[in-house]
Parts: sequence; C-alpha cells; structure tokens
Amino acid sequence: MVYIKWAFWITFWGLVAAFFHYTLPQHDIARITDTYEKRIDFGENSIFWASADVGNDTGTVNRDVFFIQTVRTNDRVMVYRNEDTGWGWPPYFKFDTSNLQAEAADLKSTSDAPKWVMIKHYGWRNEFMSIFPNAVSVKPVAGPDAGIGIPWLNIIILTVFFAFVWGIWVRWRRFRAARIDPMVEDMTESWDAAGDAVADRRSRAKRWLDSWRAK
Amino acid sequence: MFALTRLIVIGFVALTVIYVIVSFWSRALRRRKLRREWEEEGRPGDRETFVETGLKAYDGSIRRKLILGVYIIPVCIVGLIIYLTNFH
Repeated sequence: MVYIKWAFWITFWGLVAAFFHYTLPQHDIARITDTYEKRIDFGENSIFWASADVGNDTGTVNRDVFFIQTVRTNDRVMVYRNEDTGWGWPPYFKFDTSNLQAEAADLKSTSDAPKWVMIKHYGWRNEFMSIFPNAVSVKPVAGPDAGIGIPWLNIIILTVFFAFVWGIWVRWRRFRAARIDPMVEDMTESWDAAGDAVADRRSRAKRWLDSWRAK
Repeated sequence: MFALTRLIVIGFVALTVIYVIVSFWSRALRRRKLRREWEEEGRPGDRETFVETGLKAYDGSIRRKLILGVYIIPVCIVGLIIYLTNFH
C-alpha cells in the first residue's frame, strides 16, 4: 500500500513538473543559422504543435510551419518552431509569427561572424517524436556570455501555484483531523468491540462443545 | 474566431465561479466582523438588526465593488501579455 501511495505521488508531481517545464518560458542564447518553413502532417505528436495563424482555417490536416535553426553557446544545434499560440493554450497570446520570422531572418549569421540572440521559448525538442520548442521572441544580445536574467515570471507563477496547493493541503489536513479521523477511530473501536464479542461467543461455544467431548 | 469565442466563454464561466465564491466569502467575513463589533460595542440593541444594518451598508460599499476586479484584472493581464508578446 505504501509503495502504491509513493508511486502515485511521484507520478503526480512528475507530471506537474513536466507540465510547468513544458509551458513556462525559458531563454536560450544562440545564433540563428537559417530560417525556413516546412509542411507538417500532424500525427501522434499533434498535441505538441500549436495552432494555425489566427484567422486561418483550423480544420486542415496539415500546414506549413516556420522553423528557426540555431547553434547554441555549447555548439549544439537547436531547432525552434515558430507558430501562433493565438487565443489557445499555452496563454502566450502570440499572433506575430510572421513578424518574428522576419526578425529571426534578419538576425541570421555565420560562425565566422556570429550575431548572438536571446530566444524566449517554451516547449521541448524531442527527436523521437519530432517535436520542437516554440520560439516566442528573439532579441539581439552582446555576446555568447550574455546573461539571461532572473526568471521573475516563473518564480512568481510557481510561488503562487505552490501557495495555492499548500492552502488546499492545510485545509484538507484540518478537515481530516476534524471529521474523518474521529469517524475512522469510531469505526475501528466498534469493529474491535464486535471482534471481541465474536471471540467471546466462539469460546463459549467451544466450551459447550468441549463438554460433549469424551474426556 | 472560434478560439477567441471559446476563450471568452470558458474564461467568463471560470471567473463567474470565482466571483460568486469570493462574494459569499466576503459577505460571511463581514457578518462575522459585525457580530464581533456588536459584542465589543457593548451589545447595542438587537444583534440581528445591528448585523443587517451593517450588511446593508456593506452592499453599497466600494469594498464590495472591488470584487469586480475578479473580471477586470485577468482581462488587463491578457491585454498586457498581448502587448508584450506581439508589439513590444
């Protein structure tokens, strides 16, 4: 029982952590090597793609998606998609996909004359599912050593979330101590009493039976 | 347009639930406060009349209208996010 309980809570908090890690904004320092668009036929990975540009038909099975190719400061590549989130989830309310693509194309550079940028994005890159983080904004920075700042927004959102969870937890504990624990105790007591009564009766029956046995 | 409609409808329903809960909670809090006040003021007259008069004053107060912020603040935040994401 204890193992099931642990497995449940580890899974639950793992999913919560994954959710926030996917949804909250993160910043990368990188240089843009190219921008392109590619037709995507959404399959099993469709929940990891956002929506068509706001105002366009939403019922299509495939569409062209903008991509931004980059090399990060650790010399590893990263490919971002560039899609509208529109009025949907996650609530970035991004409508300027095409403008962002134009900005990214303007900041293209080669390894000989690198121009470094800070890319704000959310989402994951996963090669096994062909999913890409969604770039939200690009901003030129001085160099590869530029800091990405303190993530105030993430700190505030997580603090508010955990304060909320803590509030619910405290109230639940109080409710349990006041209402459920006494009831369980009551039940255990009456159960024990019933058990004693049964044992008592059984021993009496046994004594009666014994009295018939041959000595 | 469908996505915007969906956001507005779901948002409105969710915020209305919060608004109703906060309203009831705030009124109950005020009622408790008035009862304590009545106790502290040396029990002037009937308790229920005292509390009802206090609650009537609360119904017309600016404090109660502040609960409308439940609707206004999220709309402002969305507006701010739209500005910062797209036009900043």
